[in-house]
Amino acid sequence: MTMNSKSNRKKWLIGALILLLAGVAVAWWIFTAKFDDTSKVQSDFTVTAPAFIKEFQQDIKKANEKYSEKIIVVSGTVAKIETVDTTANVKMIDSQTGDYIIFAFQQQHLAEARALKEGDAVSIKGSCSNGVYSDILGVTNISFKRCAVNK
Amino acid sequence: MKKTILSLTLVLATGLIFAQKKTTTSASVSFDATTAIDALPKADNKTVVAALDTKAGSLAFEITIKNFAFSNPRIQEHFNAEGWMNSDKFPTATFKGDITNLKAINFARDGKYSATVKGDISIHGVTKPIEADGFIIVSGSKITATSEFKIKLEDFGVSGGAIAAGKVSKEPTISVLAEF
Repeated sequence: MTMNSKSNRKKWLIGALILLLAGVAVAWWIFTAKFDDTSKVQSDFTVTAPAFIKEFQQDIKKANEKYSEKIIVVSGTVAKIETVDTTANVKMIDSQTGDYIIFAFQQQHLAEARALKEGDAVSIKGSCSNGVYSDILGVTNISFKRCAVNK
Repeated sequence: MKKTILSLTLVLATGLIFAQKKTTTSASVSFDATTAIDALPKADNKTVVAALDTKAGSLAFEITIKNFAFSNPRIQEHFNAEGWMNSDKFPTATFKGDITNLKAINFARDGKYSATVKGDISIHGVTKPIEADGFIIVSGSKITATSEFKIKLEDFGVSGGAIAAGKVSKEPTISVLAEF
């Protein structure tokens, strides 16, 4: 084996090792990443609760395509706060139809949800999951996860 | 006349207090598919719709799949993708069933009662019969239902390389908590 081929082999090995380490680092980064604090995430849409619910009432498929998994700021009136165990969900309800938006809060923002009162005007930022029709309740519900009060 | 009005009012009030069908929009369902080599596949959904009919003993749940909140963005994306839960096509999971030992539960008396529920669970477009044990806790006008059980992912047509590689449990544990 010549000196030149030995040198080439060494270069290939070093290159392969660097690629392997880079791959491991990228995989580690992807699979240990956590969702950011929603209060610090840029929103994709800003809406009012009545207009937002109306979009789902008019065409739920289209609204889901538009809003699903997007970060949205929703302004409206707190209709109900449901506290169960460690949960504090905030609801905004269309009083005409019973259709509602429900916001499940991010762990670090739960205290903000608990501090709200029915009738409060509030702006909530969160990740819109989607809207579905409930056979149990006979209304449409639009659920959000990882929410925070938008300040 | 006054007595009649009073009696009617009492009857109506009693009916309202002990209404048979109770619902909640904030039940929670968690699943834990973690394994020895991966602690990430677990999530909570805290906006589950549930109904309990204390007279008939029926219980129902509706779960929006996309509202399962994971800690890791990539795992959440995989969970909802076409190869897994395909949540665009199958946006909800449901359960409809009955408490089989209803006579052993006194909804008018505080206490913790063992309960067995039998019914049909639909996940990923596949419906299977299921039986699970749990508890009904009565405290004043509040009724709490809890249960923990396992499901086999392959029974619901959910499979993938991550399961074969041991990164996702073949039989995740499902925990349910509903307060009515």
